[in-house]
Amino acid sequence: MTAGPIIEVTGVHKSFGANTVLKDVSMQVAPGEVVVIIGPSGSGKSTLLRCLNGLERPERGEIRIEDRSLLDAGSSITEIRSRMGMVFQQFNLFPHLSVLRNITLAPVQVRKLEPANAEELALSLLGKVGLGEKAGQFPASLSGGQAQRVAIARALAMEPRIMLFDEPTSALDPEMVGEVLAVMKELAAEGMTMVIVTHEMGFAREVGHRVLFMEQGMIVEEGAPRQLFDEPRQERTKAFLSKVL
Amino acid sequence: MGKRLSVLLAAGILIMTMAACGANKENGGNTASGGDKPSSNASEKVYKFATDAAYAPMEFMDKDKITGFDVDFLKAVMDEAGLKYSITNTGWDAMLTEVQSGKSYDAGLSSVSITPEREESYDYSVPYFESTNMIMVKEDSTVASAADLKDKKVAVQGSTTADTLMSGIMGNDNTDLKRFDSNAVAMLELDSGGVDAVVADIAIVREYMKNNPERKLKAIMDTASFGSEFYGILLPTGSELKAKLDPAIKTVLENGKYTEIYKKWFGEEPNIDNVLNAK
Amino acid sequence: MHFRFDIIVDYIPLLLKGAALTIGISALAIVLGSILGLAVSFGKMSSRWYLSWPTSGYIHFFRGTPLYVQILIVHFGLVPACIGHTDAIVAAITALALNSAAYTAEIYRAGIQSIDKGQTEAAQSLGMTSGQTMRFIILPQAVRRMIPAFGNEFVVLIKDSSLVALIAAPELMYWSNVMRGQYLRVWEPYLAAAFIYLILTYSLSKLLGWMEKKGVAG
Repeated sequence: MTAGPIIEVTGVHKSFGANTVLKDVSMQVAPGEVVVIIGPSGSGKSTLLRCLNGLERPERGEIRIEDRSLLDAGSSITEIRSRMGMVFQQFNLFPHLSVLRNITLAPVQVRKLEPANAEELALSLLGKVGLGEKAGQFPASLSGGQAQRVAIARALAMEPRIMLFDEPTSALDPEMVGEVLAVMKELAAEGMTMVIVTHEMGFAREVGHRVLFMEQGMIVEEGAPRQLFDEPRQERTKAFLSKVL
Repeated sequence: MGKRLSVLLAAGILIMTMAACGANKENGGNTASGGDKPSSNASEKVYKFATDAAYAPMEFMDKDKITGFDVDFLKAVMDEAGLKYSITNTGWDAMLTEVQSGKSYDAGLSSVSITPEREESYDYSVPYFESTNMIMVKEDSTVASAADLKDKKVAVQGSTTADTLMSGIMGNDNTDLKRFDSNAVAMLELDSGGVDAVVADIAIVREYMKNNPERKLKAIMDTASFGSEFYGILLPTGSELKAKLDPAIKTVLENGKYTEIYKKWFGEEPNIDNVLNAK
Repeated sequence: MHFRFDIIVDYIPLLLKGAALTIGISALAIVLGSILGLAVSFGKMSSRWYLSWPTSGYIHFFRGTPLYVQILIVHFGLVPACIGHTDAIVAAITALALNSAAYTAEIYRAGIQSIDKGQTEAAQSLGMTSGQTMRFIILPQAVRRMIPAFGNEFVVLIKDSSLVALIAAPELMYWSNVMRGQYLRVWEPYLAAAFIYLILTYSLSKLLGWMEKKGVAG
């Protein structure tokens, strides 16, 4: 590959009031790479992910997406975001729109697709996540696992270059976690660039190309899953893993 | 939300009920003292007059005291009749309902003109005041008489003689005849160019022009079109008070007392004969 | 006390004519007030002081002073300044719309702020602008929640419109005042007017209830 990193974070610092959440964080993601971020709650991993598409704005540092500065983007941030899908812990489907309209709204309004083409795309994505028959229903009638798969389809309808997942299975009943992870696994296999914040260690080990361990607003350790899970170098990583594994 | 609302509602109803009970008790007390006593003691009864004291110089509030021509006139009449009385500023609507029911108040005194429609619902004393209306326009206006106002926009105070007269000339349902809550607002409308003329009592027009010379207004008298209107004291139908008031009013008109009061308030002589011979 | 239906019958054409104007004034004031209120609510929610301060002042003024006085100011001040002469109907619509906007602005604000932040974030993450987010995601959900509050506000506005009789706008209360003046009777004109107001407000409540059930906002 000639291209450099698709995501490049340098020296990012973020605080909420007196509470510092990110301290001088730097990281890179290569195209096609699947990066999993783990760490205890409050470690700043979700904030870091939210910084990547501008939902949070760091006080210092630089974030470049596809070699464009996110923090200097101004109003063209919407364009950068439209090429980056995000899946939330709480799904955040639009309750007043049908499943189909949830998926077609942004492609029609932002990508300016013809409604008919957007619908065709939406139906094929719904098929892909195994929910082809739910197109006409409303979010309230879906189970958690189904809602999260619709949310993934919604993000994919923008044909993003990058997918961000913010604890996508944390709000799900245990029996529904598998169906969502299966969809994500398939995406990874297709070569999608993904940054995933999760507590699913098994999934991280199996699907991640690289795992970052964060604690107290800093990246403590990063490495290939096997190395990080089986032979962690840092004491803090060991302590965390011993609690969750 | 719903719960809070219903608590408020209940409290409101409670307060209103208590207020109503209080009022009833008061009324009951009054009627008892008036009605239970034999007629020989009638001279001890205090006759209650209601007024809407917002029509200077006829009746108005001077700070917290009711004053004006009507107030002085009533004193002269009641002294003449040898009756005790009290006067309360109830406001216009309350005065009308109170006098119509005749329970808490015995009469209304508020520059009320006598018209046939109104006599369907009330009795009146004999006329006690002649009212003449005047047209007030801007100095450069071409209006010369009441007839010129037919196609113009005219402001009056609602429920006044000016209203009655202009309704006759322009039509009751004419929206170019604008009836305001008070003459003050009607004058303001003329000032703002919303109407071409204001029609109001002569005393009110003169008072306004005297106080606002910079407005460049002129007053037009049209005795031919604006026939006199007469004020009477408003009474419930079948009121026993009428028989006592009418002779006293006549006496006050004839014995010079009326002229004295009239000059005090209007600075000129009244035309007593017109009032005495009305109707 | 004898209640005179005959004088009400005499005045029915004028009362109905007045009611028609009451409906017209109220409807226009509701529409204009709702549009202006939306703009005011955005101003108040803005983080820019030169938008939030004036709109906040606007809301305080119109909610904190008597409508009675506002009507006079609009009729004798604002309207002549804009069109050169007084016009009671223009003033009535303007005053009621300005007043209503202050209340609807707060309804919009409460409704918009009641929508979960995740909805905005989801829309933004899809590349939607804040305008698109407001139009397609926030307002459709918020308006549905606002319908009951709007219903209250509109009912209040219809009743408040009776105050414009003050400036001789020939609406329902104006004609009942005329009727009162002619006969010097209080209950016939006021109860007749109240009954017509009740019909108007009741119909509006039914309409809004139906809209709420239908969820027409989407």
